[in-house]
Amino acid sequence: MWAIEAKQLTKSFGKHKVVKGIDLQVKTGEIVGFLGRNGAGKSTFINMLTGIMEPSSGSYALLGVQNANDAIKRQVGVMPDYSSLYGSMTAMKHLSYLAAVSGKTVSREWCIEVLKLVGLEEHANKKAAKFSFGMKKKLALALAIIHDPQLIFLDEPTSGLDAESVIHIHQLIQQLHQQGKTIFMTSHNLDEVEKICSRIAIMKDGSIKRVGSMEELRAYYQSTITVTIKHSSIRSTDLSIIQQWLQQVGESLEMEKSHFTIQVESEQKIAEIIRALGTYKIDIYRVDVEEPSLEEIFLEE
Amino acid sequence: MFYNWLRKKKGGGMMFAISKREFFESFKGVKSIIIIAIFLMTAYFSTKFSDWLLFMNIDFTSQETELIHTFAISVLILVFGMLFTMGLSHDVMNREIHERTVRFLVTRTSRVSIIMGKFLGVVLFWFTCLLTSFLIISIFAHQFDVITFLQSLSLLVYYCACTLLLSVLISKPGFSMFLSMIIGIAFPIFNGWVFFTTNAWISWLKYLLPFYYVNDQDYRFMVIFLLAGVLLFIALKVFKRREC
Repeated sequence: MWAIEAKQLTKSFGKHKVVKGIDLQVKTGEIVGFLGRNGAGKSTFINMLTGIMEPSSGSYALLGVQNANDAIKRQVGVMPDYSSLYGSMTAMKHLSYLAAVSGKTVSREWCIEVLKLVGLEEHANKKAAKFSFGMKKKLALALAIIHDPQLIFLDEPTSGLDAESVIHIHQLIQQLHQQGKTIFMTSHNLDEVEKICSRIAIMKDGSIKRVGSMEELRAYYQSTITVTIKHSSIRSTDLSIIQQWLQQVGESLEMEKSHFTIQVESEQKIAEIIRALGTYKIDIYRVDVEEPSLEEIFLEE
Repeated sequence: MFYNWLRKKKGGGMMFAISKREFFESFKGVKSIIIIAIFLMTAYFSTKFSDWLLFMNIDFTSQETELIHTFAISVLILVFGMLFTMGLSHDVMNREIHERTVRFLVTRTSRVSIIMGKFLGVVLFWFTCLLTSFLIISIFAHQFDVITFLQSLSLLVYYCACTLLLSVLISKPGFSMFLSMIIGIAFPIFNGWVFFTTNAWISWLKYLLPFYYVNDQDYRFMVIFLLAGVLLFIALKVFKRREC
């Protein structure tokens, strides 16, 4: 059973499509990291899955159930991106109230236990209005897990937290994972995602560009070398033959008048291309070879 | 008893949690204390004044004698009910939307439960105020006017539904506060005008407004609950489409 299954999930604001027909499956017990630049559509995608927003089209299922009902929502914990709390309520009250809204009655001991997990036990009776940004984040995380959900959405759980708190939260996420919970999180912290997540989805301009484990992504990106070759003009009679041949040698061919860019699997292919161009009497002025760094995998994608 | 039933019902627990919080939150703040004080003082002094009028042997009809104790509280609800309800609860929904705390609710329970929970919480506050006022009256009048109580309650339920709809329609609490004042003052004037006008083009509106149904001591006030239900249904439809 899929913990999350999105089919062609789309969200438009007026004419602007923010999320463009996303298909994604998350297995039960996985920790999936969702990466992308600001405005890529990560939060909008999570907001649709968690009921904060209605999708414009497409469908999704959580824990095997289409259109999450109350029973399913009880199994889902959400830490929204922007956490505003009830200023007049204490941390303790927050936990008991929102657990009740989730349909669960929780004991004071359990609330203290959860506050301990996020490192807020000393602030149990402090009003949220007096909380710092980091404390609010921690409380929002506590609220996401207070009702012991099976599926947890965390929208940038560690942004704005100090290093010690970040380590603490990472340990907590791993602890939840060990308990068999499925975690779907967004983050801008590449190290965090690499360290915690079993699978990573990269989003750009409202679409998921790549999904896979860290090893798979690395292998994918490191196995392809982007080569840009600046050359003299190609005779129109040779153009289609060269184009056809290049498409067999590599992928993602982009041909311009004076240069072309192609992704090849190995450096040997570069030499092959240069030799082939020579047979057609095409002069090569420049060869640029790009090998993506780990950071580029996420940012450039 | 009602709450026990609600808690046992599927999804009722969530609704109960929301309505319970809304009910207790309604008592907080200066505005609610003033309104409660106005209700209780009106109940107390109107009863005292009614007793004095009856003692003076003024020539009242039997129906007037029957209604004299609850007259002031009925007028209070007719004239100021909308203003009080909207003034107190105009931000019942949009405050949560504006501050994004509603995200904690929509991710945990259905939007129907949220709307119904909020509505029940606000209605329960007014039910408590009204019941306390009528109990004070009944102590001095030695009778509990059930019909007038239910008529007043139906009006308050209608006002609460209007308030909830306003709060869902207007996303900014500051603007809903401003509108609530205008609507609160204009509503009884407009409803009174529609009720008394002989202009056929306008008078049909009286069937859509509540005053027409509380004119006589009968059970027509039940229609007001239906009208409130319609407003609540619209509020729910609007809230279901709203981005949180």
